[in-house]
Amino acid sequence: MAFRPQRALAVFWKDFLDLRKNVGLLLSMAALPLVFILVPIGVVWTYAARPDDPNLRVMAQYYDRELPLGANAAVFLIDRTLTDWFGMFLVMPVFVPILISSQSVAGEKERRTLEPLLASPVTAAELVAGKSLASLVPAVAISWLAFALFCVGVDIVAWPLVKGPLMPNTLWTFGILVLAPLFAFFGNGVAVLISARVSEARTAQQLSALVVLPLVGLVGGQVAGWLTAGMGYYALQGAVVLLLDMVLLVASIRLLDRERLISRWG
Amino acid sequence: MSGIQVQGLAKRFGARTAVEGLTFDVRPGEVFGLLGPNGAGKTTTVRMLTGLLQPSEGEATVWGCSARTQGEQLRRAVGLLTEQPGLYDRLSARENLRFFMKLHELDEAVAWPRAQAYLERFGLAGRESDACGSFSKGMRQKLAIVRTLVHDPKVIFLDEPTSGLDPESARTVRDAVEELAAEGRTIVLCSHNLAEVERLCSRVAIIQGRLLALAPLGELRRAGHALDIRVDGDAGRFLPTLAALPFAPNVMHEGGRLKVMLGDDTQAPEVLACLVGAGARVHSAVPSHRPLEEVYLELIRQGRA
Repeated sequence: MAFRPQRALAVFWKDFLDLRKNVGLLLSMAALPLVFILVPIGVVWTYAARPDDPNLRVMAQYYDRELPLGANAAVFLIDRTLTDWFGMFLVMPVFVPILISSQSVAGEKERRTLEPLLASPVTAAELVAGKSLASLVPAVAISWLAFALFCVGVDIVAWPLVKGPLMPNTLWTFGILVLAPLFAFFGNGVAVLISARVSEARTAQQLSALVVLPLVGLVGGQVAGWLTAGMGYYALQGAVVLLLDMVLLVASIRLLDRERLISRWG
Repeated sequence: MSGIQVQGLAKRFGARTAVEGLTFDVRPGEVFGLLGPNGAGKTTTVRMLTGLLQPSEGEATVWGCSARTQGEQLRRAVGLLTEQPGLYDRLSARENLRFFMKLHELDEAVAWPRAQAYLERFGLAGRESDACGSFSKGMRQKLAIVRTLVHDPKVIFLDEPTSGLDPESARTVRDAVEELAAEGRTIVLCSHNLAEVERLCSRVAIIQGRLLALAPLGELRRAGHALDIRVDGDAGRFLPTLAALPFAPNVMHEGGRLKVMLGDDTQAPEVLACLVGAGARVHSAVPSHRPLEEVYLELIRQGRA
């Protein structure tokens, strides 16, 4: 069976249109980036507003016992916050596709639209491609927009202290351009896979959302000082997620098999 | 070869057999009824014939496409109206239809006027921009029918097409079905509405996991004879008398009318003699055919036995 891009694009177009009209889902999608932008900006502002607070040095020394006496603890903590928060920021490109894909795949079962859809000439690969695009495009776009707002916000609050732009730095630029799409693909793959096996969008969302827990755990390890994040650390995460993406892609196409879906859910 | 040819078709889900040994064919231009109780395997059969499920055994060809090996071509040739309309509620009627036009890779310049003509016919003209979520049950059903026809299918499967429709709309749909058949399309109708089946179908298959009957409608009804009798007063008082006859016929009654199902013509004099013996004043006794419902129920009972 030949892959017909027009049919995959039709699925993308339909799901995207449906998303645009789903106000509840749009609000959920907007709430997450707001938290991911405002929290770190608030933390950076706290450090930048009181750079001479002696407690900052105590905090900084928790992470680096050999912090030079002349080093500015506030700048050190801001740098540390920005590096660690990137791990948390990656939750967003994972989570947004989970919200969308759970609706678009398990939602087809709930709304009983699956059978007419599968009775059309569309193939499993086209369906996966179209539905994935419809969740990846908004997820990556939201991540990039949130990143832009984040950069502006951080630079505004940190400027009085550092007298120059802190963001975008190399780590974040690499992460947003390379890792965010990979993580978004991961979130989408998990949601498609789980959606193909459960009957309700809400169940699919709840189960899929569990995959963000390891990510949050890693960030917790960074904040606790057990893990030291950096370019190499995030590049390794990216490589692991790339491998998982490939496995999920193959599994999704197998699971969205017409016969399997119809005999279970049709 | 066009139409539908089915030979020894079976479908198993694990250890459970949904249908087996189905053999029939449907000619172009024919409206064919696929009847059976809930869970009889009608939906499974339709799903095999629309390329949604792979047969476990046997072969089916729909408009020249094998249901086993040519699923994609087959789905291009068929239109399927499912039991539930299955529309996208947040999308408008136009967007719903356009989506399926795109899936069928149709030129919208050709397909949209066709869709508009159907929308007009089914009373949905002017509602193209409204979200389907705002439609009544009947409007949703009609839009689903338009979606089924939008790619100009050669073979059409209709599952309860008039379900939820008011009498006027139901008639419009029935007229459309007749016209589609007259254009040479093959139509398979699954319905529990036997009056509709009697009006539309030339032949029917009655299934219950297997084929119980396959015959032209008239032949099926002639398979049993009946006697329409008019008597004085309430006909119901003669039911015990008729039940005591050696061949214990099935009897339906309403007011002063009795419809007595007969095994053969020779039982008619015995029925009349029995009624007269019981004091009935018989006004008329007219031989007739058994209603499809009676034939259907008897076949299902036999199938269960």
